[in-house]
Amino acid sequence: MLQFLVKRLIGLIFVIVGITFITFIMGYLAPGDPIRAQMGDHFDYHTWLMLRHAYGLDLPWYQQYYNYLVHLAHLDFGISFKYQNRPVWDILKDGVPVSLELAFWGLIVELLLGIPVGILSAIRANSWIDTLNMGVALIIYALPPFVIAILAQVIIVWIDSKTGASWPSSSWGAPWQYDWADLQPKIVPILVYGAAGYAYFARLARTTMLEVLRQDYVRTARAKGLRERVVIYWHALRNALIPLVTVLGVAIGLLVAGTFFIEQIFNIPGIGRISLQSVIDLDYPVIQATVVLLAVGVVIGNLISDILYTIVDPRIRLE
Amino acid sequence: MSMDAHQRPSEAAGESFVKPDAVLQPPPAELLELAAGVSETPPGAVPLGEEEVLQERRAPSPLRESLRRLRRDKRAMVSLGLIIFFVLVAFFGPPIYQHIGGIYQSPQNGPVPASVYHSYYHEELIRQDEGPSAQYWLGTDDLGRDILARLMQGMLVSIIVATLVEVVDIVLGLIVGVLAGYFGGWIDQLLARFTDLMFAFPGLLFAIMLTGIIGPGASDALAKLPIIGPNGNGRLLLVSLALAITVWPLMARYVRGQTLQLKEQQFIEAARTSGSSDLRIIFRHVIPNLMSIVVVASTLNISNTIIGEAGISLLGLGVQAPGSSLGLMISDATPYINTHPWEILVPTTVLALIVLAFSFLGDGLRDAFDPRSKD
Repeated sequence: MLQFLVKRLIGLIFVIVGITFITFIMGYLAPGDPIRAQMGDHFDYHTWLMLRHAYGLDLPWYQQYYNYLVHLAHLDFGISFKYQNRPVWDILKDGVPVSLELAFWGLIVELLLGIPVGILSAIRANSWIDTLNMGVALIIYALPPFVIAILAQVIIVWIDSKTGASWPSSSWGAPWQYDWADLQPKIVPILVYGAAGYAYFARLARTTMLEVLRQDYVRTARAKGLRERVVIYWHALRNALIPLVTVLGVAIGLLVAGTFFIEQIFNIPGIGRISLQSVIDLDYPVIQATVVLLAVGVVIGNLISDILYTIVDPRIRLE
Repeated sequence: MSMDAHQRPSEAAGESFVKPDAVLQPPPAELLELAAGVSETPPGAVPLGEEEVLQERRAPSPLRESLRRLRRDKRAMVSLGLIIFFVLVAFFGPPIYQHIGGIYQSPQNGPVPASVYHSYYHEELIRQDEGPSAQYWLGTDDLGRDILARLMQGMLVSIIVATLVEVVDIVLGLIVGVLAGYFGGWIDQLLARFTDLMFAFPGLLFAIMLTGIIGPGASDALAKLPIIGPNGNGRLLLVSLALAITVWPLMARYVRGQTLQLKEQQFIEAARTSGSSDLRIIFRHVIPNLMSIVVVASTLNISNTIIGEAGISLLGLGVQAPGSSLGLMISDATPYINTHPWEILVPTTVLALIVLAFSFLGDGLRDAFDPRSKD
């Protein structure tokens, strides 16, 4: 167990170093001079040299990378190119709680809607409920999140125009506040955000539950005369949930990929939007910071699901 | 249960074989079964006796058997039909459409022939946001451009990007996967580390970053290329490259797992004993047996690629105006969702249909090549 975790931790460090290196080297090799671009018409050679020196851009690449890593280790993401004198963290700090909130509720939707629906489908396998559930899940899963988001928006707009209601189609309330005015715009984006993961968990829960229901111990439980409800909810369900715990990493990966589109389409001021804006502005420090933050989020999600895996499935320990 | 399929896998993780085996572990049981199924009649196998030969002749080959199963799969066949239809429309639609219709007396541009007003970049600024008509079959967008023409161009862009990405995906995935699986050693280690990295690093994030940072320069540099260069399509090559870099490690992993499996099979052993070189074994015996896994994985991956290109263009980092792409059409129409929802519904629906068709065809192919993967 310990050996396994140490191995994963070493892998994790390798991955983080790799990610920081890729993001750094892409910014380093990118064509165009960010400082010249920011100065625009006010170009002045002396100031340019000074700014270059101030940002450390006149150093060789390995020194720049080393400085970057040292700063990163102190959670210092540097200073924005676009908004001079503004630390990167200052730009990001309003977006982080919004994206975290979105991811948190999205994950809740995935788990609390997806798993029960999948279990229900497995218990009623091959009935019309199962067929309907799985058909919907299959389509939701295959479609990209932005298509679902746009269809949801079109439906909101259509309902608004028919009923005269004014349900917001793209905005966001104060993060972690749940008055109706703050909550109302959040409902649809969160549901859409969780949709892909919902379908993923529903299909997976159905498969694992069906597998468990075929096991000998379920047959034994039935044979000794237990009520069906006890068999399903006590003996089968607990074992069917085990594999689901371990795919949280996949779910978090789906959430990160969805961030950009959901935040862009629903106009949500989170990390994804900030990251996109910084890509358009060629604000490298901000790009690097958002990429590292998101990738580290995925890596930590994977680590957690690895640890859960070793806890629920002792057989993996010797790997 | 592998935990690292972040590449938006096109099937639920609980099912079937298109799933990377965990690093340096033997491939999952489904792969073992597939490998066993494939190698029942390996090419180049030496028949043991006359009875065996007779039985082989009577039994249809595994490939034919798989195709028969595929033909019976209604959903996959409808998807295949839809894909063929979309490909035909994308390639032959524009030249036909541009020959339909007479000269239009534009108050703004003077007489305009159909080959111009049915092109995807021509703007008729006084004919904005129209509904379908005899002149504009699917109406016009906010700049008075023909939606049908832009749609067909967008489909063509999707097909071009998907083709480019899949070529890189298959070639790189096959080479690295076979080398890693067959020889092991440092190539295997390198592949394992590299795939770890790519799985932790969301592919889309990488593609967004690459196209965002290098994109503006690439637009100008690539604008001189024929076909994919002019009219704002310069970044397509970059988008394809970015997507290809993110997808091939997954393919290499599938191939590696299957190769490890094949290596232990008796017909490979037999070939080696009879003095075949490694190169000959790889080309004659290993690669032909990898074809089913490659076909299934790349078909499932096409929908991811098309989503990726549309997504990147939607975010404004892919095809630039006046070019067209399904994603760009969606983002162009977003401001008019309240007043002209039609403009956003058309590209969204077509994109959804294309993506669903490739997913369903991929699922069908997987079931056909590996019937045991079904519940």
